[in-house]
Amino acid sequence: MLLQQIVNGLALGSIYVLITIGYSMVYGILQLMNFAHGDVYMVGALVAFSLLTTYHVNVVASCLIAVLVGAMLAALVERVAYRPLLGKDRTVSMITALGAALVIRNGEELVWGVAAHGFPSFVQTTTLQIGNLQVSVVQFFTLLVSVVVIIGFNLFLKYHKVGKSIRCVAQDIPVAKLMGIPTGKTISLVYAIGGALGVLGALLYCSSYNVVFIGMGFAGTMKAFSAAILGGIGNLNGALLGGLILGLSESLAASYISSAYRDAISFLLLIGILLIKPSGLLGRHISQKA
Amino acid sequence: MTSSRFSSNKSGGLSSPERVAERGRSATSSIAEVLHVVQEWAEKRPHLTRAFALLCILFLPVIVRNPYHMRILNMILLYSVLSISLNLVVGHTGLLSFGHAAFYGIGAYTTAILLKDFGWSFWIVFPLSGLLAALFGALLGLPSARVRGDYLCVVTIGFGGIAFLVMQNWTSVTRGPMGIPGIPSPTLLSFRLTSHAQYYYFGLALLLLTYWIVKNIHDSKIGRALLAIREDELAASVMGINTFRYKVLSLVLSTFFAGLAGSYLAVYLSFVGPLNFTVDESVLMIIMVIWGGMGSLPGSIFGAASMLGVVELFRPLYQYRLVIWGGVLLFVLLLRPQGVFSRKPYRPRRQVVESEEIP
Repeated sequence: MLLQQIVNGLALGSIYVLITIGYSMVYGILQLMNFAHGDVYMVGALVAFSLLTTYHVNVVASCLIAVLVGAMLAALVERVAYRPLLGKDRTVSMITALGAALVIRNGEELVWGVAAHGFPSFVQTTTLQIGNLQVSVVQFFTLLVSVVVIIGFNLFLKYHKVGKSIRCVAQDIPVAKLMGIPTGKTISLVYAIGGALGVLGALLYCSSYNVVFIGMGFAGTMKAFSAAILGGIGNLNGALLGGLILGLSESLAASYISSAYRDAISFLLLIGILLIKPSGLLGRHISQKA
Repeated sequence: MTSSRFSSNKSGGLSSPERVAERGRSATSSIAEVLHVVQEWAEKRPHLTRAFALLCILFLPVIVRNPYHMRILNMILLYSVLSISLNLVVGHTGLLSFGHAAFYGIGAYTTAILLKDFGWSFWIVFPLSGLLAALFGALLGLPSARVRGDYLCVVTIGFGGIAFLVMQNWTSVTRGPMGIPGIPSPTLLSFRLTSHAQYYYFGLALLLLTYWIVKNIHDSKIGRALLAIREDELAASVMGINTFRYKVLSLVLSTFFAGLAGSYLAVYLSFVGPLNFTVDESVLMIIMVIWGGMGSLPGSIFGAASMLGVVELFRPLYQYRLVIWGGVLLFVLLLRPQGVFSRKPYRPRRQVVESEEIP
């Protein structure tokens, strides 16, 4: 039973990790709370939904298109809503993010409506029996995809030239510019990658729970924000740890304490951790003066 | 006057957002100029202006007969109270709170339960709702001793989420998603508040009280301490300001008024349900404050009025109105980052500069 819940939690947590990475990376570079994140990746998920159900496009192709749409939309939002405010007070870019989210969310409503739609599973809905542990193929698939993507992305950041330039920009924008890094393009790229990973996470979530609706976007933004803060925002390992802890705590709280208060318990855990470690689990110590 | 500027701006191509922003900035600053000219004209004739404004506000319910419009007016009054009180925390102290709707809800549920299940008098319950909300406000203020900035922001989101879940799931007290209907309306000396117009005057009184108190706080030693904390917390504490105490104080005062607003909502709608107090609602209030102008009280009223009034203005475009409104919000803030009413541009704390901005 406990092991079962841990497996469920890890599958949920790995989805949160995918969603959180994009959020946390953007924060790491611009200290911007990207409130449009969830609504942007929901567009991708909804596009995949339409392609799969209405146009009967092949699964791999529709997922690729969805990820591309998410990446492009994220880059567009950055260009329109955030870049003109670079260097201005960041509370304002937070509100323009909310404005962008409002536009996108209501645009989604016009196209897809507010109702929840059934989302087809990517893989067959059988379960694997390992000892007395039941792992559904969907969960296995989710874990597999997340692990591959997370490891791949880490290697990209570490060894690829573009990945290195992203890390440079995260450290210091003016200096990165002096070193000849095209900072504007790099920032757009970070948004695009964040959007793409978010769409991937959303697709896995929709496929696991067989449902897609617009409200998932804002809820996802809040989860990503919480997970990122929990792990230490702007830190990739922090996003990993935060996402997994959030998933595990939700799954354990739902089965052992109360499913109605599932989110409340993970919020309490979050507040408790912040009281003990005010800059998140892996966050650097924040000095009061930057 | 302003439209001519706008049309001349349209002549170029819309190639890059920066250039659009640059061009439009002159347009919005000319709107601001007009506003300032009007303000100066009004400031020279204070008695005339005040009498005129007072007359307009007092006789509004006589002119507006449509109950639907009266309801929007009352909601604007209510949200003005909420955004002014939130401005104390967000605009003055610089704490980004995503939990304001929770306090609004605590006030509303306190009133609903005490009036309906216990049959207390409204005039006892009303201040009590504010006090209870303020108590939770103080509770939320405690983590601010250790947790700062965006981390504190997540704590407030968590608090808002927990409060919402309790309202939705504690069915034995709050009746859960069904909400509490049939809350009795308040009586004053055997006179019962029932019509929209009567609630309008009640809401107006509440707004004036809030405005007056927050304005006085703003102009007092407390207000200066709060502004100092917003500008630089470390420097403020070095100057001998007990930052923790002032942060908690601003939260307590702000949530007190949120609780009163909740109480007003409960008796006005004679119904409370958890969906009025989600985190989305808090986000709406934050948009009102920042869009109107951080730290500006008329700005907060403008923010509330425009956010709610727009629903009515764009009614012919029913399904597109929120898309348009989001676009307007985004565009205006790109041009005027300090908000519509704030005069002084807001200074960034740490500068992430484009190369051309380096002197």
